[in-house]
Amino acid sequence: MDVVVRQAHPGPDVPPYESIEQKTRDGRRYQQDENVPWPIVVDDLEGTVHQVYGSLSDPTYLIDIDGRVAYYNMWTHVPNVHTALETLQEQGWHGVVNGGIDRVPHMAPWMTHGWRGIRRGLPQSVIDLETSLPSSGLSTWLGYQLRGLLAPLTLRDTPLPALVRLGLGVGMAALLAVIVRHRIRRL
Amino acid sequence: MVASDVQQRFATLDGKMSLDDYNFKHFRTKHLLADMQATFAKQGIQPGEMAPDFELPHADEGSLRLSTLRDKPVLLHFGSYT
Repeated sequence: MDVVVRQAHPGPDVPPYESIEQKTRDGRRYQQDENVPWPIVVDDLEGTVHQVYGSLSDPTYLIDIDGRVAYYNMWTHVPNVHTALETLQEQGWHGVVNGGIDRVPHMAPWMTHGWRGIRRGLPQSVIDLETSLPSSGLSTWLGYQLRGLLAPLTLRDTPLPALVRLGLGVGMAALLAVIVRHRIRRL
Repeated sequence: MVASDVQQRFATLDGKMSLDDYNFKHFRTKHLLADMQATFAKQGIQPGEMAPDFELPHADEGSLRLSTLRDKPVLLHFGSYT
């Protein structure tokens, strides 16, 4: 299930919540806009459930059939959540899995699809993002334009094969090395 | 509508945000830093703990109580419309 929390990137058409009706309306919009097939529930204005469960922006808990936390992925790394779900199934849906907690930020889906949320709060949402962390707003716009190309990588729901991950790692390291070398030459 | 376990925990929660702080008007660097700090501190319900029960209204109609889903695995995701 999804729990609707506070407005993360407010704007003129999506101001901070002042009523539960406003928050519920956004829950319905979210369900329709994104074709969400699972239940969406709406937290109260204080964010009581959200705050008790840690207040993070985008976390996912996997709860076992006894009602205990089996796995807490603090940034909803979907391939890792998928793996945790499979492990829990292998354990008969009981107990803690995959070390219990995963704190690795998962920015890939945000880079290509974060814009879908941010654009609802335009123009303030982008101005706020650019003020807080320069380029973080406009880069998500760029990522969204490239989503057709990048989505097979960023929206994967299962882990990439080890060889592909190794290739990407080496590629990123090479790119970083080229950038650093270029910077050093300019000094 | 929020009920039981969660309400009790909320009453004694460390670092609880006020209504205005929680529903901020502008996204700022401090919100990013708070998320990083929460990640570092593993803030939230820890693996092996009972998931605190709550009952919340559906976005369409009716309500859902977490404990009624016992005997099934549950994925519980928190997210914003924006």
